[in-house]
Amino acid sequence: MSSVGWFIGGPLMYFAAAFFVFMTAATFIKYAKLPRHLRWDLYPVPHQGPEGSKYQKVDFAGIKPHFSLFHELKEMSQEMLFIKKAYIHNPKVWLGSFPLHAGIYLGALWLVLLTVSALCELGGIAVSGGASSLVVRFLHFGVIITGAGGFAAGLFGSLVLLVLRIADEDMRLFSDPVSFVNLALMIFLFGSSLSAWIFADSSFSLIRHHVAGLLSFSMPTVGSGLIVLQLTSYCAFLLYLPFSRMMHFVGKYFFYHHILWDDEMMKRNSAMENDIATYLHYKMTWSAPHIRKDGTWVDQVADSASKEGEKK
Amino acid sequence: MKKTTRRVPIKDFGSATDVLSPLEPGDIELIHGEDKPPKFREMKPETKEKYDFSLDGISALNLPIPKTKEEEEAIVNGFLRGIEKLFQKENNWTFLMPTTLSNEYCMQCNTCNEACPIYTESGRMDIYKPNYRPEVLRRIIKRYFSKSGKLLRKWAGADLDLNWRVVYRLAELVYRCSLCRRCASVCPIGVDNALISRELRKVFSQEMGIAPENVHKSGTVQHMKTGSTTGMTSASFKDNIEFIEDMIEEKIGRRITIPVDKKDADILLLHNAGEYMAWPENPAAFAILFEAAGLSWTLSSEQMGYEGVNYGVWYDDVQFARIAFAQIQAAKNLGVKKIVIGECGHATKGFITIADRVLVGDAAIPREACLPLLEQIVLSGKIKFDPMKNNFPVTLHDPCNMVRLMGIISPQRNILKHIMPEGQFREMPDAGTNNYCCGGGSGFAIMNSQNFPDWRNNVACRMKARQVLEAFKDVLDPSIPKYYCAPCSNCKGAARDSMMEHFGFRKKYNIIYGGLVELMVNAMVDIPKPFISWEEEF
Repeated sequence: MSSVGWFIGGPLMYFAAAFFVFMTAATFIKYAKLPRHLRWDLYPVPHQGPEGSKYQKVDFAGIKPHFSLFHELKEMSQEMLFIKKAYIHNPKVWLGSFPLHAGIYLGALWLVLLTVSALCELGGIAVSGGASSLVVRFLHFGVIITGAGGFAAGLFGSLVLLVLRIADEDMRLFSDPVSFVNLALMIFLFGSSLSAWIFADSSFSLIRHHVAGLLSFSMPTVGSGLIVLQLTSYCAFLLYLPFSRMMHFVGKYFFYHHILWDDEMMKRNSAMENDIATYLHYKMTWSAPHIRKDGTWVDQVADSASKEGEKK
Repeated sequence: MKKTTRRVPIKDFGSATDVLSPLEPGDIELIHGEDKPPKFREMKPETKEKYDFSLDGISALNLPIPKTKEEEEAIVNGFLRGIEKLFQKENNWTFLMPTTLSNEYCMQCNTCNEACPIYTESGRMDIYKPNYRPEVLRRIIKRYFSKSGKLLRKWAGADLDLNWRVVYRLAELVYRCSLCRRCASVCPIGVDNALISRELRKVFSQEMGIAPENVHKSGTVQHMKTGSTTGMTSASFKDNIEFIEDMIEEKIGRRITIPVDKKDADILLLHNAGEYMAWPENPAAFAILFEAAGLSWTLSSEQMGYEGVNYGVWYDDVQFARIAFAQIQAAKNLGVKKIVIGECGHATKGFITIADRVLVGDAAIPREACLPLLEQIVLSGKIKFDPMKNNFPVTLHDPCNMVRLMGIISPQRNILKHIMPEGQFREMPDAGTNNYCCGGGSGFAIMNSQNFPDWRNNVACRMKARQVLEAFKDVLDPSIPKYYCAPCSNCKGAARDSMMEHFGFRKKYNIIYGGLVELMVNAMVDIPKPFISWEEEF
């Protein structure tokens, strides 16, 4: 058990964390490197603020577009933190989705606070409820509240979504086996974490000690079987996530900022214009009868009206 | 909420049933005044033997049923080739990012379903769910293009085997989505199922040569061949302008010379040419307003200069780009400062936003919607309006292309405030960016193959009809004349065929339809008699 625990909590955990960071960056770069696309914005676009779309104005091309960071951040935070659209348009799913996402956010905050408290431990500051420093006491209780709260919320949300996927006929129709695997993994992640907290590590001192060991590369062994299970779930989660549609947190950035809210206009002599001019020289291989064979986009368009007329 | 009991699992999409999910008229919720379930034309057996009706009993595409194994294989192979190209930057840089993301990140939460008027008004048929067709695509991609799908098959969600029926049903199914993007506007992730429909339309058109005849052959091809999707040549365009000048003289008591091919004007006004043929009052009203406001403007009689539509927006990037460039060339030849697009939603969006990143260099002539300019005319005080001349109930349709897809919301409302007495204008439910499609979007208004019009009128247009009745619910008495204002040609086409002819709103409730400029001219102090008449057909 101890060698398994050591392997999972040590080398595998390092690998999984590095793999996850690498794959997240790679996914981000993969999308960022895709060519610019044609406009496909959807309104309202929050950063346009109360003024709304510039298309509502005469000679809009000469008007500096309005950009309200406040309205964009407001919309983003409502969507990211509260899953606003699901709340309005699909409250049934929101009942599961909101606690699940709250669990993930609280869990991430727990990890940050846990890391800080582990650094404190490494620095010789004991983190406990009885610490003399208010900040340290805050850290101690912050770890407990975010951890326990996050795990409970995440588990509850995952279970609600699982029940919906099984019991709701409409959802079941679309649910592929991967949907159930994803939820099973979330239940494992939050369930094992909650169990470890309840039955083995109520102050999170064991896991803090383990994180301190990881931070100092001392490769600690893990004593509790429940914590081994908890760490196993983290490794599984980090290794699986990049291959799943749960990476939508990366996709969502591009959806909103590069598609739905992308209202950037083409400007003369801009990088965008240069890029598009390059794309127009890509050779296309579509093979329907109305497509000119082996032509670039420019070739397809050149003198098109008269040539289309000649064809018939 | 009505639930369907006729489930169509995605793995069964290619099953060898005659009709996978037939429309059940009894499942369709009736609108006020409808006393029996809607009717769908029964096709003759010989027609059904020849053409594919196997999705829902409707044919939008007239697809001939393959007769040999080779034909079947060619359909499947062509489709697979097209899907591969859809994800290649050389072939699809235009929409590669949106397509890739929407393909990869649907969480199958179904939030989009209730946002779709076609799904809800069909009696909630599974196959019409906005996420159904993208899910079919995903499973095909998993099955034929992913290692996990090839290896794990149904365990990786790759449980749909491709055959000609899958391809043809999918081709039909992408023409049961009006691309209104209401589904995308409610998706918590930002997934755009309407875009997937459009991209699949593109695969069918650009790779397999499959598209509705009215959209492609007598649409974009005819447009480039004759100058207009209506077949109107430059010479007949000029005749039409003369006719409109006569009509103006008759209506307002004085003749206006409509400027055609005027060099170096400030504005080239580009109408949907359907207006000249079906609703000449609309270009006439524009001419009256522009003349009264003293604008420097012109129409073009050059081939590709008098037709504003661009059906390529709905199904084909190549046709779209060809038309957009040709229209720009016509504007350049006249030396105008900008192009203003008349009351046509898809033309406005297509030319202003979508073409924005195709028209590089000196092709980037400024292009604007007409609504802000019309608002400016009203607010400038150059024309005197008497709101009491429009003393009848009016409701306003928000064309998806101008409103949800461009954010043009307030100009038309500001105009109505100034040209109508208080209390006569009423918003529809879900007005603004949350609006519903007229039912004619993405080509539906002009598609007339087989029994498709029955589907359009009974299913796609039903929500709009319901909304109009809701807006006028306190004045439904036919003794009160009412005006459904739809500042978009396709939306008016849908209103004519569905609301007026199919649902009989004119007869039952004395509702007529028309554009915004007609209402503006109707309120002009200088115009001696009403421009809008409930006695004449619009």
